[in-house]
Amino acid sequence: MAISQAMCTSFKQELLTGTHNFTTSTGDAFKLALYTSSATLGASTAAYTTTNEVTGTGYTAGGGSLTNVTPTTSGTTALTDFADLTFSTATITARGALIYNDDQSDKSVIVLDFGSDKTSTAGDFTIVFPTADASNAIIRIA
Amino acid sequence: MKLDFEFPTNGTIKDLGIQVHTTNNRGFTPEEHAIRCAEKIVSVSSEAHPAIRAQAHAFKSQVIRAVEQTLCEAVKSDRTTIYNALNEAGHPELADLIRRL
Repeated sequence: MAISQAMCTSFKQELLTGTHNFTTSTGDAFKLALYTSSATLGASTAAYTTTNEVTGTGYTAGGGSLTNVTPTTSGTTALTDFADLTFSTATITARGALIYNDDQSDKSVIVLDFGSDKTSTAGDFTIVFPTADASNAIIRIA
Repeated sequence: MKLDFEFPTNGTIKDLGIQVHTTNNRGFTPEEHAIRCAEKIVSVSSEAHPAIRAQAHAFKSQVIRAVEQTLCEAVKSDRTTIYNALNEAGHPELADLIRRL
């Protein structure tokens, strides 16, 4: 049982077949699901699963909806981003997360490992994405 | 041609720059939001010339103050809206609680 941070292998292939569209508003709907430390997630994760997904106040199975940022370029690097996501008034503990495409049969994109359990009690649980530039954006093709 | 996905296959959260912020028994304060906002707007390289670095940090501090002040005003405005909505719905005591926050 472990969560290994990775860009999912199936996602890399699906990029080449044009499965995912990260365009704001008109693109696909992406979601972020939270998982406990008992979950097994990694590069081989191909789709969203409810196994060992977080449960608790302020969290609904399937996770939260992400706001896409239309892909752009910086120099020779293409990149995309998501707006920060907050689970409000939440009492939950999570060790990692899975970003997946809700419009494309829940196909997985990225597995995130928080490094340790993160807990909120009747508070806010916020995932802060890195600066959207060529060196730091969450998804970059250089 | 090689497509290089700049994503650590076995890295930690730190490698990605992802952060998880949590609170207990409260929400984030305007100051906490303002700091996070400024982090998105201004990033200062540790390798920048000291004078430029100092100027960037000063600008960042200004951004934090401006955003915090605006957020505080937004919170007040929203409470006014909620106060009136509760009053109109026949809950003056609840409305007063919101007003006193």
